[in-house]
Amino acid sequence: MENLNFRYYLKIEFSEPVKNHRFTVKCIPQSDERQFIEEKSIQIFPNESLCEGNDSFGNCCIFGNADLPHQLFEVEVSGHAKVGLASYTKARPNYQISIFRYQTEYTKPGNQLNQFFSEIDFDRCDTNLEKSKKIMQNVYKKFSYKKSITNISTTAEQALELGQGVCQDYSHIMIALCRMANIPARYVVGMLVGEGLSHAWVEIEDNGYWYGLDPTNMLIVNDHHIKISHGRDYKDCTINQGLFIGNAVQQQTISVRVDRT
Amino acid sequence: MGVKSIENTDRLYWLGRYSERVYTTLKLFGMSYDTMLEEGAGDYDAFCRSLDIPNIYTSSEDFLRSYPFCEEDTNSIASNLKRAYDNAIELREEIGSETLAYIQLACYGMQSARVSKAPMIEFQKVIDNILAFWGIVDDWIEDENTRNIIKIGKRVERIDLYGRLHAGYESMRREICRLTGRIDRCNIHYRKDVLDRLNKLIQEKPLNYPEIVKEIEQILEV
Amino acid sequence: MKNIDLLKRTDTVNELLARYGVKFGIYKNHTFKEQLFPFDAIPRIIQKDEFAYLERGLKQRVKALNLFLTDIYNEKQILKDQIIPEEFIYASSGYLIQCENIHPPKDVFSHISGIDLVLGKDGNWYILEDNLRVPSGASYPMIARELCRRSSPQTFHDYPIEDNRNYAQILKHALDYVNTGGLSVVLTPGRYNAAYFEHSYLAECMKVPLVSNTDLVVENDHLYFVDYSGKKEQVGAVYRRISDEYLDPMNFNKESVIGIPHIFDIFRKGNVALLNAPGNGIADDKGIYYFVPRMIRYYLGEEPILSNAPTYLPFYEDDRNYVLENFDKLVLKDVAEAGGYGVVFGNTMTKKQKEDFIALLKREPRRFIAQEVIDFCDIDILEGNELVPRKADLRAFVVSAEEPVVWKSGLTRFSRNPDSFIVNSSQGGGFKDTWVLSR
Repeated sequence: MENLNFRYYLKIEFSEPVKNHRFTVKCIPQSDERQFIEEKSIQIFPNESLCEGNDSFGNCCIFGNADLPHQLFEVEVSGHAKVGLASYTKARPNYQISIFRYQTEYTKPGNQLNQFFSEIDFDRCDTNLEKSKKIMQNVYKKFSYKKSITNISTTAEQALELGQGVCQDYSHIMIALCRMANIPARYVVGMLVGEGLSHAWVEIEDNGYWYGLDPTNMLIVNDHHIKISHGRDYKDCTINQGLFIGNAVQQQTISVRVDRT
Repeated sequence: MGVKSIENTDRLYWLGRYSERVYTTLKLFGMSYDTMLEEGAGDYDAFCRSLDIPNIYTSSEDFLRSYPFCEEDTNSIASNLKRAYDNAIELREEIGSETLAYIQLACYGMQSARVSKAPMIEFQKVIDNILAFWGIVDDWIEDENTRNIIKIGKRVERIDLYGRLHAGYESMRREICRLTGRIDRCNIHYRKDVLDRLNKLIQEKPLNYPEIVKEIEQILEV
Repeated sequence: MKNIDLLKRTDTVNELLARYGVKFGIYKNHTFKEQLFPFDAIPRIIQKDEFAYLERGLKQRVKALNLFLTDIYNEKQILKDQIIPEEFIYASSGYLIQCENIHPPKDVFSHISGIDLVLGKDGNWYILEDNLRVPSGASYPMIARELCRRSSPQTFHDYPIEDNRNYAQILKHALDYVNTGGLSVVLTPGRYNAAYFEHSYLAECMKVPLVSNTDLVVENDHLYFVDYSGKKEQVGAVYRRISDEYLDPMNFNKESVIGIPHIFDIFRKGNVALLNAPGNGIADDKGIYYFVPRMIRYYLGEEPILSNAPTYLPFYEDDRNYVLENFDKLVLKDVAEAGGYGVVFGNTMTKKQKEDFIALLKREPRRFIAQEVIDFCDIDILEGNELVPRKADLRAFVVSAEEPVVWKSGLTRFSRNPDSFIVNSSQGGGFKDTWVLSR
């Protein structure tokens, strides 16, 4: 178990004033069996109208309006997390989570993924968890970390062809392979100890439980990770969405900091 | 109904204005039509000048065809009727199908006039239906606010047209008084200073028509 | 039939339909046109007993479909019990992940269901399809009846016909039943929508505002109508005539300019009712249609009263083989299309077309269903003074509040082309009134 302080900060600067801004942000960690969140503070500016809700995956969303002209939009979420309280979270019955066995636009396999999948040796892997670990090892070996090669719309198939990418790509590739092995797999957004951007990893279902696997670092998710949200792929976990009136160029800055206490 | 959107308030007002524009210009056209029956006769240029619309017509014949019917000509009577219809069609639940029907019938009248050898007969149907429309607005629409917005549109348009046409002093005075008496009876935003100036302008003799037109056009501007 | 006084008044009725602008919009070569919806005065007549039978079958079907929708977006028992293969759910474009774990107010998903039926020459009614998203058409027989009664009072004196002009009250009751507090409104995408007449007419008859997205705003967890003075009035039920895709750019198609941002978020929280609920596309999917009789047995423990048209899913190998062997006598439907599009008859294809189609069918078997061509009863229409037979279907409307209510009428659509089976108004069909006899 580990005690962590976290701060998630998102800033959008607009080159021109915008108005009638409608936004949804999904960057608020919630307590579950694995993590306990306390002293949570959420600051959003402008905050003319704010509501809290859940999306269809149960992720926490803040949505609202900022009608008056503004050039800056800021979100700051901070708090304290006890993580590693368990190595899994409970899953709903199989027939209720089978959607996570279906590929999406991001994970749909092509030749590259099919080829890769056929090369993986699942010998002596009996459970979903063992198979998934094997997949993780293979992804970690085959794929290497490099920024600015891929972007947010790169699919698993495209990333694999490039051979390099970031945590989003590692996760999509791993999810695609798990689903090919008929393992329910979902995309997770969260924060990692240290300073930087948000992080992404994978959860797979095994015998009634979700386990977190971080293919970028080849880690079983334990006491370094604070989970924010999950979904079928990146798109379901989009941290910030907005619509506004105004002809402005947006510049987005994200900074995440997680410290052991 | 109680609640009214900004769009519908706007549509009611313009429905009032365009129905009036069609009615008055059609009557005016009827008078000119008669004087232009003999070949080469009639002064359509004066007609255009009096209404302050561009004279884009090449002959009396062209004028008699295009001014009432041409849908591409934004100043034609048909175009104005179409605008009245475009506003009315989006007001069915506000004014009622029975009311809307008269604007629809006026449109059918216009279509028959277009293909008729005696268009004045068909134009009479357009005029009859606009008169019926105004009648049913008064008689049938329960919501006073709705009624008044249409009527204010109609009054404003009439003052605008009469100003351009240099209508007689009495007509001008009557229309401005009618508007003044009506405009506070509904919830549209207007400029009180403009209304005051119009009421002053009507005291002057001779009437300063260009000034009246200038003022009436900005009565609803914020 | 020819002696009915009403038939002699056909011209009068049509004049009145024109007077009241009973039209539908259509795009031809990218320009919008309003067209009168051709009306034929010869009604479809349904006997009292026969309608009672239809009524039982339709209620049963709509009940099962509503239970299915609640189940599929929540507990998914029907998947657990393997009544429907899950790939039919998750591969369908009608399934909306956004609707997972949703309970609409009072658990009604399909408030207005338009069920299309035909009467076979064997005397049986067959369900052709369910329309649970934005079914349209009720306003046409409703206003036609009003105008027919005016044109031929004698007819309505002579025949015992159920009055169908109560549709607006039935609908208003469904809105009130699920209203979460505040106004009920009709939301239209605007006058350039094909069914704009219906939107405005139903709003008028229900005495509720017809609104567009610019009139509505979500604030502080609720939906408000903003009036001309900026005053906000809470809205508790939205009879929305725009599709799920365009309903809310924050949750569905981001490009939508006719939607209301965040309306879905507050719907999820139970703070506004949407009629019909988003996500219904999974229940009226042409592929899911095949499973509706199974749903009825599963959820209600009853035998289906009304039959589907005999349908095959090329997805199943046995069915696929049957389809390939009997291609010429089947009609094939693309499950993703509506409005009479994507429907082809095996026997009308050239050799090349057939080869291409079969290749596509093998490549994407989930995309199509095949049905026996039902030899359905013709109904006479008037052409000049002649009676000529035409293909016609019936769209029955089932409105669900506490219980489903079957409207005692329906939209009978006919094909004006003697050789065509396609009755959709967007493809030039006309309509008839539907009389349900009260004795």
